[in-house]
Amino acid sequence: MTQPLRISHVGLRGVVGRGLTAAHVMDFAAAFGTFLADPGPVLIGRDPRASGEMLREGVIASLLACGRDVVDLGVVSTPVIQHAIARGTRRAAGGISIGASHNTAEWNALRFFGPGGTYLSTAEASELLDIYHLRKFSYVPWNEIGKLSYQADAIDRYLDELNIVFNFDAMRNVRVIVDCASGTSSIILKRLNERYSLRMLLINEHVEGMRFAHEPSTSKRVVALQLAPLVVPVGAEAGFLFDLDADRVAMATETGDAVSEEMMLALLADDLLARGPGKLVITNLSTTALLEEIAHRHGGKVERVPVGRQAATDALALHAADEIAIAGEGTGAVMMPQFRFVYDGIAAMFAILRMMRERRRKLSKLVAAYPKYEICKGEVPLVSQKIPALFLELRRRYAGGTQNTSDGLRVDWPRTKERGERWFHVRVSQTEPVIRVYCEERGAQPQALFEELLDLVKQYAG
Amino acid sequence: MPDESRAADAKHVRQHPLKIGVSGIRGVVGEFLTPALTAAFAQAFGTYVGAGRVIVGRDTRSSGDMLQHAVHCGLLAAGCEVIDVGILPTPTIQIFTGSSGARGGLAITASHNPMEYNALKLFGPHGLFFNHYERAELLDIYHESAFKHASNDEMHSVRSDRETPVRTHVERVLKLVDVEAIRARKFRVALDGVNGAGSELSVHFLRDVLGCELHAISVDPMKPFPREAEPKPEVLGDLSALVRDHHCDVGFAQDPDGDRLAVADETGFVIDNDEVLALAVDASLARKTGPVVVNLTTSAVIDDVAARHGAQVHRTPVGEANVVEIMTAVGAVIGGEGSNGGIIHPGVQLCRDSYTGMALLLDRMQASGKRMSELAGGLPKYHRRYGKVGFQHGRLGTVMQTLEKAFPEAQIDRQDGLKLMLEDGWIHVRSSNTEPILRYAAEAKTAARADDLLAAASKLLR
Repeated sequence: MTQPLRISHVGLRGVVGRGLTAAHVMDFAAAFGTFLADPGPVLIGRDPRASGEMLREGVIASLLACGRDVVDLGVVSTPVIQHAIARGTRRAAGGISIGASHNTAEWNALRFFGPGGTYLSTAEASELLDIYHLRKFSYVPWNEIGKLSYQADAIDRYLDELNIVFNFDAMRNVRVIVDCASGTSSIILKRLNERYSLRMLLINEHVEGMRFAHEPSTSKRVVALQLAPLVVPVGAEAGFLFDLDADRVAMATETGDAVSEEMMLALLADDLLARGPGKLVITNLSTTALLEEIAHRHGGKVERVPVGRQAATDALALHAADEIAIAGEGTGAVMMPQFRFVYDGIAAMFAILRMMRERRRKLSKLVAAYPKYEICKGEVPLVSQKIPALFLELRRRYAGGTQNTSDGLRVDWPRTKERGERWFHVRVSQTEPVIRVYCEERGAQPQALFEELLDLVKQYAG
Repeated sequence: MPDESRAADAKHVRQHPLKIGVSGIRGVVGEFLTPALTAAFAQAFGTYVGAGRVIVGRDTRSSGDMLQHAVHCGLLAAGCEVIDVGILPTPTIQIFTGSSGARGGLAITASHNPMEYNALKLFGPHGLFFNHYERAELLDIYHESAFKHASNDEMHSVRSDRETPVRTHVERVLKLVDVEAIRARKFRVALDGVNGAGSELSVHFLRDVLGCELHAISVDPMKPFPREAEPKPEVLGDLSALVRDHHCDVGFAQDPDGDRLAVADETGFVIDNDEVLALAVDASLARKTGPVVVNLTTSAVIDDVAARHGAQVHRTPVGEANVVEIMTAVGAVIGGEGSNGGIIHPGVQLCRDSYTGMALLLDRMQASGKRMSELAGGLPKYHRRYGKVGFQHGRLGTVMQTLEKAFPEAQIDRQDGLKLMLEDGWIHVRSSNTEPILRYAAEAKTAARADDLLAAASKLLR
């Protein structure tokens, strides 16, 4: 069973009331106020979950008590917060996003950003965690307590930045349907429609704190169920679906077909490698091998890192910004260099629309132009004591392939006469007590291998 | 110094930087009174009063905003709905708690304590202080950390209402007096608002509502306290000067949360607090007679004034909650505590209220046509002396017996320590609830006799 609380390098996350309490929130925010080196203000924002107000009040109190000025951006997407940190007239020390992204309504979380709106590196996150556990917070005396202010134009300033890259005036005729899943994308896209006279058709646009229109996941399954059937009837050229804080996005074609979540990064990698100058794609071990094929065409390279935002953040830090074309994962979370390497679903949506316009292709044709990779994804509940034995057995049994053990086990096999390239990845989730199993093959569904892996994993787990 | 709360004056006595007890929490903000502790206490409060509406306001201390967010966090976490009334006097918050049908209320104020302190005052469903048993129950919840943790579905919001509380308070006070007659007199009034929570309301009340020509100092809630927070004669030099410079009819001074009142006559002389209470009692009984309730250390002048109106006086242990409890029980028409400038009128709210005091005194001047010095001069004259001595555990009983034997002719009251009532005066000895000391006071018709009684007590207690 999923534990209702997880405190880790990624931050604080839990089921409100059952795991995540006001005390956790206040201590973690105080730890962050203690941790920050820069003297500047801390920017905060939240997604529309009802518990968000409780978390916001606790975060504000702890930051003020640590002598931090706080700027509350209100209900905004995580990328809006990150851009505002980087852009502010007064140099911000960092920011906190209150929201649990693709998790269901009863969850909430705190995510932390450093100056520039960047995710914390592993080393920084470790330090933050140490301060949290030590509970030695640098509360200031009464006359040095921070001041709270509100900033209402963060979304407009964010749209200004997007407009420089995408030129919204040229998008007036674009006809898309967007499923906001009751989340913050609704606020941003309504404003966009109004300000630039765009005609995006929004559904599930009522921002909601308790009953989301549907599970806020960007998986192909949710797109097929919620969005794809509507695209043809409304005559849209594409459909997009966001998670609650709009850092992830998924899509459906004009023919009403849900597109695999793996394709968001693949399409944009193709687009951005062609634009240059960056030639490097950073992604995790669980993401489609189509990326290698696309990178190869452009003379580029794929760097594979362990799953999770942390490994991607650390990898980004090892390269100059202009070496990198794009970073992201197969979940629909994509970071682009033009947008300061922030996971940003809205920027990704416009990048896809720009690609369609420039290549004069319908979305279904764009997607169909790539070789078909079939991916299977599964998960098995975990008994943590048996994990080492499971991996030993996997390594022994699949000794024939190329093995990568940086995050669980990934095994790759080259193309043969009978079948295309294939790989599998078995790893332990960082956020839930499950083992995840991924398996992909070029040209065909690797069903037999997938089931074999699931059977084996089940012998050791649950 | 008979008053319990004078103990908070750090210059006089040792004070602990944090105190959690049946009166709530109070401490030096920062290292001791932390936002996490405040939120936990608020969550205990929310758990105790139940998921419903809770009124939250504060005084002008610079730590108030930070602590208010912490209080909001704790209350929301307990499933309460928060009504934020912002910076308002404590009596205004109590009145609104009672009139709005809320489950309870919290005032973030350390009253007359120095700037570095802050505290929570806690009110039950009718805007009254909890009784001793209720406070003990609340404290148990806090210590057990047996908090209600609301889930996302049970979460409420913070709403703000800054108008209704002020309107309600003013309306209630105006019912006690002849407003038109006061307005017609166009009194010239000096005010020292100590830059406290009443700053704005006091200006509005005296100038706009009661039609006074107002000369006000220290009525900027954004500025720090310009003088010691407790309005005692030795710190009210500026008020006296203001009265003289502008030839005012009367001068008023408040404490930071607007429950205490000090009064200067038209010569700038600051009138003794017991006499101010006596004038308020007189003014109130002149309109409607009935039982009067004051604490044991309050001057006998109250008995004389009550006798003029054929009213009975009830005496209680020191402490606002004690006075209020007996006022309810006997159906008092007016009450208070002499030494601390607290005037309590049940027609407004069973709490100390400086606005009630101001209105009653102006009304008395209007009705009698007398100057403030004449009104005070018309009271029977008593002389009071105060002392304190270190408390020795185990010796208290012996000390009290010695004292009792020394005055065999005295009538005795043992409700709060020992009060010896003599033919021509009284002695009251009690142990402080907040510090390890014995406080003693004496009163007599002549200064010499008051000195003698105090000296006798002092000698026996040492």
